[in-house]
Amino acid sequence: MKKRALFTLAVSTLFVGLQAVGGSSSVQAAEKTIKFGAPLPLTGALAPEGIKIQRGLNLWMDTANAKGGIKVGNERYKIKIIYQDYQSNTPRAVQTAEKLITDDKVNFLFSPFGSGATKAASGVSEKYGIPTIASTASSEAVYNQGYKYLFGTFTPNITLTQPLTNMVIAKRPETKTVAILARNDFFPLAIANVMKKSAAKRNLKMVFFEKYAIGTMDHSSALVQMKAAKPDWIFATGYLNDLILIRNQMSELGVKVPVLTMVAGPAYKEFIDGTGKLAENITSAAWWHPAVRYNGKGVMGKTENFNKLFKAKYNLVPDYAEASATAAGIIFQLAIETAGTLDHKKVRDALATMDTETFFGPIKFGANGQISSLKPPVFQIRGGKPLVVYPDVIKQIDLKFGIK
Amino acid sequence: MNKIAIFVAIVALLALPYFGNNYIVRLATVMMMYSVLALSWNFIGGMAGYPSFATAAFFGIGAYVGAILQANGIFFGAAWFAAGLIALIFAAIMGRAILHLRGHYFAIASLVMVEVLREVVNTNDQITGGGMGMNIPILKISVEASGMLFYYSMFVVALLTLATASWVYHSKLGFGFRCIQQNEAAANMLGVDSTKYKTIAFSLSAVFVGMAGAIYASWVNYIEPPDVFDIFLTIKPVVMVLLGGMGTVFGPIIGAVAFLALEEIVWRNFLTIHSAVLGLLIVLLVLFLPKGALFFDYRQFFRGRKK
Amino acid sequence: MLYLQILLNGLLLGGLYALIAVGFSLVWGVLNVINILHGTFIVLGSYIAYFAHLYFGIHPFASVIISGSVLFCLGYVIQAGIINRVIAAPVLMTLTLTFGLDLLLNNAMLIAFTADYRKLILTDSLGSYDLWGLILPLNRVAGVGLAALLTFGLYRLLRDSNIGRAIVAVRMDREAATLMGVRVNRINAVTFALGALMAGAAGSIFSIIYPISPINSGLFLGKAFVICILGGLGSVPGAMIGGIALGVIESYGALFFGPEHSTTLAFVILIALLIFRPTGIMGRKGYE
Repeated sequence: MKKRALFTLAVSTLFVGLQAVGGSSSVQAAEKTIKFGAPLPLTGALAPEGIKIQRGLNLWMDTANAKGGIKVGNERYKIKIIYQDYQSNTPRAVQTAEKLITDDKVNFLFSPFGSGATKAASGVSEKYGIPTIASTASSEAVYNQGYKYLFGTFTPNITLTQPLTNMVIAKRPETKTVAILARNDFFPLAIANVMKKSAAKRNLKMVFFEKYAIGTMDHSSALVQMKAAKPDWIFATGYLNDLILIRNQMSELGVKVPVLTMVAGPAYKEFIDGTGKLAENITSAAWWHPAVRYNGKGVMGKTENFNKLFKAKYNLVPDYAEASATAAGIIFQLAIETAGTLDHKKVRDALATMDTETFFGPIKFGANGQISSLKPPVFQIRGGKPLVVYPDVIKQIDLKFGIK
Repeated sequence: MNKIAIFVAIVALLALPYFGNNYIVRLATVMMMYSVLALSWNFIGGMAGYPSFATAAFFGIGAYVGAILQANGIFFGAAWFAAGLIALIFAAIMGRAILHLRGHYFAIASLVMVEVLREVVNTNDQITGGGMGMNIPILKISVEASGMLFYYSMFVVALLTLATASWVYHSKLGFGFRCIQQNEAAANMLGVDSTKYKTIAFSLSAVFVGMAGAIYASWVNYIEPPDVFDIFLTIKPVVMVLLGGMGTVFGPIIGAVAFLALEEIVWRNFLTIHSAVLGLLIVLLVLFLPKGALFFDYRQFFRGRKK
Repeated sequence: MLYLQILLNGLLLGGLYALIAVGFSLVWGVLNVINILHGTFIVLGSYIAYFAHLYFGIHPFASVIISGSVLFCLGYVIQAGIINRVIAAPVLMTLTLTFGLDLLLNNAMLIAFTADYRKLILTDSLGSYDLWGLILPLNRVAGVGLAALLTFGLYRLLRDSNIGRAIVAVRMDREAATLMGVRVNRINAVTFALGALMAGAAGSIFSIIYPISPINSGLFLGKAFVICILGGLGSVPGAMIGGIALGVIESYGALFFGPEHSTTLAFVILIALLIFRPTGIMGRKGYE
């Protein structure tokens, strides 16, 4: 009996040891590679988001590698992205990031999904001095830690809410009151708070501000209260399932408003599929939209080209999360090629001083590492498609009011 | 022989950071943490027979108490101890409220405790950061030193838990627990104050878990409610104890090692089906090895006698 | 007026909740098994309804029959083949077992259907009806009506049919039932299968109300717990009362305390009940 116990103990330790050895000494390819770590929620509640990021990254990797890879000085390096699933669990995201750095010895890192996990994992990359790009983190709280090695492709949340507010008031001056319903979660709450500020700046009266718990299955009380407050504008935040449910319940309970804004579902095809006709006239803002037109440095070329390549590979129209991931890859590539080396500090400096344009938009980072050059488009769902209403240079349609 | 084996093991574990790479040290730290959780659950679930699902509650309390104290400048070591203490007090109080329930009802009540605590933390965002989580300041020491610090800290807590478990097992307390598990009414008649003993068991299942939670928070530098009040933090220790042998002293540790090994292998190689594999493991365990895969007569082992 | 609307919402929500809980309560009360799979069964029922609608145009209310049957068979097989082996084991064992099975089934569904949320959209939705200022969401009303029908059906089954009475007999006294010639193993399987059937039916009805994804299974399960404690185990009227009570409590709770607290409120009530009156509103004792 005791032999069996010792045996199992020994075997377990051996297994672990083998994995440790097997993991670190990964097969060295004959060609030179640059390793990028990508800790993603490929399973669990955030899996849909993680998979989007993976799509964006893979498109970059395949396209760039097909053209010979990244040019470092006089040599060409192939890109290798090492994915690790952290199962939508934030502490695990941190551990995964560290493992990718110390164990898989990645040269550079992509942040995990969302502001919360990005903030958590950023401590690790700062600790090891690994340049990291976050493709899905917008909250300023992520970038105010004084870190030097973290960069992000999303502008602060207020760049989404302020232009939207200005637009709504410009096109419908009689808008006076706003009601906000926010999911009690890092990003949805952050952007709701920022919306509060934007509304206050334009003297809109906030007649309702409530948070709902993660996993809420019924919003009828909140919606009924909102209805009683008769707002001109409802601003709801949450993830896909929340927003689909809220929109459906609004319709059931007869909640009608001139303006309905939702963040961050409407950009996704899944949202439109899930709400059908009810999606009509819902507004939203995002950091990118396939209708934008930018000239592109980097292997994607200009925006139309990116859209084309994405469609060819996945048979889908790209959304902002996927585009941001690809952009993160492009930005790394440009920085490395500018620096001419894989040295962490030099690449970091190249990122900090970058001033260029890609399919995603103009790329320039602020002192805190967060991008400062984007002009996030505002769009509205019309005829089952998200169409841009702002800025004017790429406007596809005029803003319409009225939610049934 | 057995005492020598333990001594050798302890020395080897102490020396681990010096001949293992970062990955090994990190893995070993997790192993220590799992051992603490499993050993702690064993007090109330294995020895006393009360199916508690409250481990996650204690872990979360420990994590947040540790985080809040450190955010207010308290030295991390003190914060960790305080966290354990608060978890213990909480368990004692909650225990008074729910330990009179039996079987399923107790399990549910302890489960619900976790949910309620999570929402309480979520709501009081002034202190806890709510849904946006809390950052714990990074210690200004080198990466290697940091790894070693957290490894040794968890190791010490694990050792403490093990020592306590061993002491309890051989003491009147442990005897009382086993009596309660077999037949609580009879135990009462025999003069075992079951209420007092159950509360002690429950509190024991909390104090080290609380410390581990606080250390964990300092280790990962960022916590948010769904991650530290996570039901899996309860389920996994239960599976570990089932694996290693319920109610024994070393069973939980063996179960923890085996479980961790399995988890690492599955996580690395079976990206999409890891929960299925965990589920399968649980099902097989319950169906075929309810007393533990590695269940061995612990007392025989340590007396070196053959059975 | 606001209060009345919220009451109405609460009642409708409660009707749906009752359907979630009734199968769960039956299994718990009769078999003394906490079926962690229940939430996943509901989601599976939703998927069946979704695909039946997508590929064959079957209305979700009609596919209740399909989901119910499929889940009945699945439940029967799972119970007879796996759970029954440890039916006499301590609480922890069966709970852990159903937890493990749930991980398996949930992961299988995740692989088969992906985590993407689906939504069943009816082309001819019933819309809403304005009744003297009160808004009646007709889809929900119809759903609750169907739920009530199903629940009533189950109630009659338990009271009047042979198998129903055998189930109740097993619930009351397992040994005595065996002595009376009841084949307890078969009853165990049938009871579990019935619980699964109700879950599948609930899933079908829910498919037009909630987005569908394996990620949601835990939410349904959480509600089922609270309702069972609220209403008492193993009794159909208990599940109904518990469900309606929870619906109303949550709706008013959201009004008075804010939507972020409504789930916590439910759990706090649950703990209070467990501490002071574990047998629930109906006072029917479950197992110890």
